[in-house]
Amino acid sequence: QYERVGADVTMKCGSMDWDAAVTWTVNGTDIDESHLNGAYLILKNVGLSQSGQYSCYEGSSWHLKYQTNLKVGTPPKEPVLMCRSNNYPKGFYCSWHLPTPTYIPNTFNISVIHGTKDMVCEKDAIPKNRCHIRYLQLFSTVKYKVTLTVTNALGKNFTTLTFDEFAIVKPDPPESVVAKPVPNNPRRLEVSWQNPSSWPDPESFPLKFFLRYRPLILDQWQHVELSDGTSHTITDAYAGKEYIIQVAAKDNDIGTWSDWRHHSSSHHPLSFLAETTSASTSSFMAPPTTKICDKGAVVGSGAMAVCWTAGLVVAAYSVLFI
Amino acid sequence: MAAADSPSTALRRRDLCSRGIRLAGKMRADVVDLLDAYVEQQGLDASASVAAVEGVPLAAVERWDEQTGTQRLLENLAAYRAFRALLAQMLEEQREQLGEADAGLGRALAAVLLQVSAFAYHLEELLRLESRGIPGEEEEEEEEEEEDGPPPPPRLSLFEQKLRGLGGLRELAQWAVRSVRDLRQLAKPSPATGAAPGLAESS
Repeated sequence: QYERVGADVTMKCGSMDWDAAVTWTVNGTDIDESHLNGAYLILKNVGLSQSGQYSCYEGSSWHLKYQTNLKVGTPPKEPVLMCRSNNYPKGFYCSWHLPTPTYIPNTFNISVIHGTKDMVCEKDAIPKNRCHIRYLQLFSTVKYKVTLTVTNALGKNFTTLTFDEFAIVKPDPPESVVAKPVPNNPRRLEVSWQNPSSWPDPESFPLKFFLRYRPLILDQWQHVELSDGTSHTITDAYAGKEYIIQVAAKDNDIGTWSDWRHHSSSHHPLSFLAETTSASTSSFMAPPTTKICDKGAVVGSGAMAVCWTAGLVVAAYSVLFI
Repeated sequence: MAAADSPSTALRRRDLCSRGIRLAGKMRADVVDLLDAYVEQQGLDASASVAAVEGVPLAAVERWDEQTGTQRLLENLAAYRAFRALLAQMLEEQREQLGEADAGLGRALAAVLLQVSAFAYHLEELLRLESRGIPGEEEEEEEEEEEDGPPPPPRLSLFEQKLRGLGGLRELAQWAVRSVRDLRQLAKPSPATGAAPGLAESS
């Protein structure tokens, strides 16, 4: 039995007379008589905490006369829907969620229309709120229309997205961003990365990249856009300073840039690394100008308080494995 | 069955493809700007859906990845020839309607027309490289000898002209992207013979 938050709920004790002597319980606990009107249970302005199993027993025999599982919830608000192609030109996926929980089970139904054609959105096993569509055509000017309907026992709601094939193309961030010092060039850092593994055909659909970097102690980023290749040499690094380096990717011709993580400069360097999930971010130390193993040039916790060359390797692995 | 590429053919193809990709990229950028100007000048809704119009080749294609190189070149060439005719007509209509009132749009249309013509010629070069006959040339020459040219298409209303222009420029922008992708496919060497994939016909 589903009821809205704030509703007044009246429960009848099965076929018992309206004035019969009964006892109501919720989850095995007796309910105070003040909530009873004869054999009826009256719950005013129900809240989430009043969800539970309600039982009614005949007064003298204690026979169970009625039982119901009350679930208090809300009808669904307009769902949030997002569609994106991170594996162009194979297809795209749509994912969704509700802006606020309903506290009761919901069913989601998605429809995808391209022109007059219905397309099948195959649900992913994990995560459950996602499905993917294969492109049947490429280079179409006809828009895709995706409608998501969410239904529960208390109501339904829907949202619609309309978009062009090109507009939703957004690769995943590049992977395995690594920076290495250049021997005998203390101001240089050689940065390399790989295409995101989800991008199916980088040869036919090449990506371009956007690299930005700054010393940990400064706020200003340096930017470089690279139309080919998966490496770049930074030539103006400050010797002995720890750097944040981020790389984003975009299809060479269409769509939008991939994400990169935003960091607060107040975080501990290892916290930067720990936050690295969707963006490819690395924290590296430019080599000091003199000593190879200058501990004064090392910043961070004990895990990084090592010789700078080893520290660089530790930082790289910290990015990859934290 | 086509013979394996000579090194000079392969190099020439890669060169033509690279230049074609740059041409198509520039063309697309200019078409997008032209589309914005056209929508504004014609008082159209940029997000309006437009039904397919005769004379406007659709860029949409199924099983794009399975196309042979020859198919790609022929479909591209047919499309850009159609766009050449469409843009010429749009330019003429623009001049008739507005005279010198919007010379900027006219110049932008003319510039894109020039690029479309150049790209069509570029595609013909690629086809010649593959020793493919250029479709339609011989028939066109014969027609010019015998007649005064093909019969003019039926006159559209002013509103229909605007919609055709909107749909046409949108498709042209899509074609420019498709052409870049097609040329990249063509530029890829085949692992076995060194020929571009799909250009060799099956026997």
